[in-house]
Amino acid sequence: MTLFDRVQRAMVYVLLSLAAFVSIFPFFWMIVGSTNTSADIIRGKASFGDQLLINIVNFLASVDLFSVLFNSTFIAVTTTFFTLVVSSLAGYGFEMFRSAFRERVFAVLLLMLSIPFAAIMVPLFVMMARMGMINTYSAIILPTISSIFIIFYFRQSTKAFPGELRDAARIDGLNEWQIFFRIYIPVMRSTYAAATIIVFMANWNNYLWPLIVLQTNEMKTITLVISSLASAYYPDFGLVMVGTILATLPTLVVFFVLQRLFVEGMVGSIK
Amino acid sequence: MSHLKLTGIRKSFGKVDVIEDVNLDISSKEFVVFVGPSGCGKSTLLRMIAGLEEISAGELFIDGSLMNNVDASKRGIAMVFQSYALYPHMTVKENMGFALKYAGAKKDEIIDRVAEVAKVLELDQLLDRKPKDLSGGQRQRVAIGRAIVRHPDVFLFDEPLSNLDAELRVQMRIEIARLHKELQTTIIYVTHDQVEAMTLADKIVVLKDGKIEQVGAPLSLYDDPVNQFVAGFIGSPKMNFLPARVEDGLLYLEHYEGQFINLPKLSESLKNGTKVVVGIRPEHFSNSGGSSLSLKVEIVEHLGGETYAYASNGNAELITIAMGANRNISSGEEIEARFDTENALLFDNFGARIR
Repeated sequence: MTLFDRVQRAMVYVLLSLAAFVSIFPFFWMIVGSTNTSADIIRGKASFGDQLLINIVNFLASVDLFSVLFNSTFIAVTTTFFTLVVSSLAGYGFEMFRSAFRERVFAVLLLMLSIPFAAIMVPLFVMMARMGMINTYSAIILPTISSIFIIFYFRQSTKAFPGELRDAARIDGLNEWQIFFRIYIPVMRSTYAAATIIVFMANWNNYLWPLIVLQTNEMKTITLVISSLASAYYPDFGLVMVGTILATLPTLVVFFVLQRLFVEGMVGSIK
Repeated sequence: MSHLKLTGIRKSFGKVDVIEDVNLDISSKEFVVFVGPSGCGKSTLLRMIAGLEEISAGELFIDGSLMNNVDASKRGIAMVFQSYALYPHMTVKENMGFALKYAGAKKDEIIDRVAEVAKVLELDQLLDRKPKDLSGGQRQRVAIGRAIVRHPDVFLFDEPLSNLDAELRVQMRIEIARLHKELQTTIIYVTHDQVEAMTLADKIVVLKDGKIEQVGAPLSLYDDPVNQFVAGFIGSPKMNFLPARVEDGLLYLEHYEGQFINLPKLSESLKNGTKVVVGIRPEHFSNSGGSSLSLKVEIVEHLGGETYAYASNGNAELITIAMGANRNISSGEEIEARFDTENALLFDNFGARIR
């Protein structure tokens, strides 16, 4: 190995270490913070303290954890389920059925990806208000179940779905719905796993839209609760860190459960 | 046991006709092979018979019943695909019994029929495996088994051996021929490999650009092709074609300066100056014969039991000569390739046979 190769390799390691540090540090800070007092956190104490139990007890005293977790979980799980069903059906349809207008309709859909949420937020709120849906789960779930990005993702992945499987299923006597549910979904399970992680995380972490439409404490999700804890007049960052850990756990569980399929789904493999 | 009749079958995608006016009769228990180059429409025609493609015009009858608008699953057919099309999330057993399950067969019946077919195809040890745990040959056997289990009236095979290696292909070819003998069912088989067509078929349908060029028994197509395309497509190595001109009752070979050969026996006489193409099969060259070509051997292929020499006179395309088991020939050698013009075929400028 020449000197140049060694330097090059060393630079790669330095850059990767830096990237790893940037990625891991917030988690480290979160865990360390949850064991310290708010004053220690503000001072920048970066070592473990003995306040974990106190922070947890205080957090549980100030937050109705069951209701908050139920709200977040119900919204994230329901939205993920319906988003996958609706968007994968749309992606399958766009790819499998020929039509003179197919590409034009799809292009219009893709164009809509460029519209920022901030631009449709107010009209969406007015619409929800007129439909009497403010401060309901439906207000959060309905606008997100048809995700253009996920439709696009499923359409692209469906290109790798062998057409002969669909033909074989038709000869075996399945109609299009049965092909979709009995053949397509199981065969594309890695695509579904990847989409599940993406959609679940996006909805679990969703902040802006729930902030606007969920108006009572009983309806609030964990992101809203953490935010309100952090923006109190005298915020207790120990509590915020405990809340953040609790908010992170479900997404980690979903990710690790589906990790293997997620990797397959991202590279688009069908075995 | 089914008889198929195709009358005036057409398929168009927009303004493009991919199948044009196909008329064909397929008798019960017949093994029919659709053969032709890539893009000739053979797979499309098979898919139309299967009910996977709509028929733009014409009529398809199976056992006298019009099938144009009948669902694929109700046509009494089973299909084996090039990529096997096994459901990857199901075991071999589930794959084979899937169609029966959807047809409403009882569980015991499904188990019995799958076991029976698995035994015939030597799949009984693999029934609980998933397709990804099988070799290419095993997957193909499962695909065939899945078709047999349904007891179809007509088997459709869409290039089923294309994904297999050469040795396995020969093995599976024999297996399919044996199955046809045992099952006595009508089979329609698509391939671009004319060796498969010649070895398996009772009847070959040669297609080109969506049209049928010729239908007939393998050897009748080989010996008596209706045009230059069929003559060139059927036979391996392919027939040699030499451009020629009629002069004073002889054939002047245009790329072999000054060389004349006799005209084969024809029912019509040809005018002086008529341009023709002479077709000679590689095995029709020998040490004897009234006509000859002076050639220089460029490449020799020794296959053990057969030797092929590729030779030319420098002006023309390579001529393929089958030399039996001759092992003494080598490249660079000058040879006199003799042949009898009675074995040669003549084609006109448009490729039609001159008889």
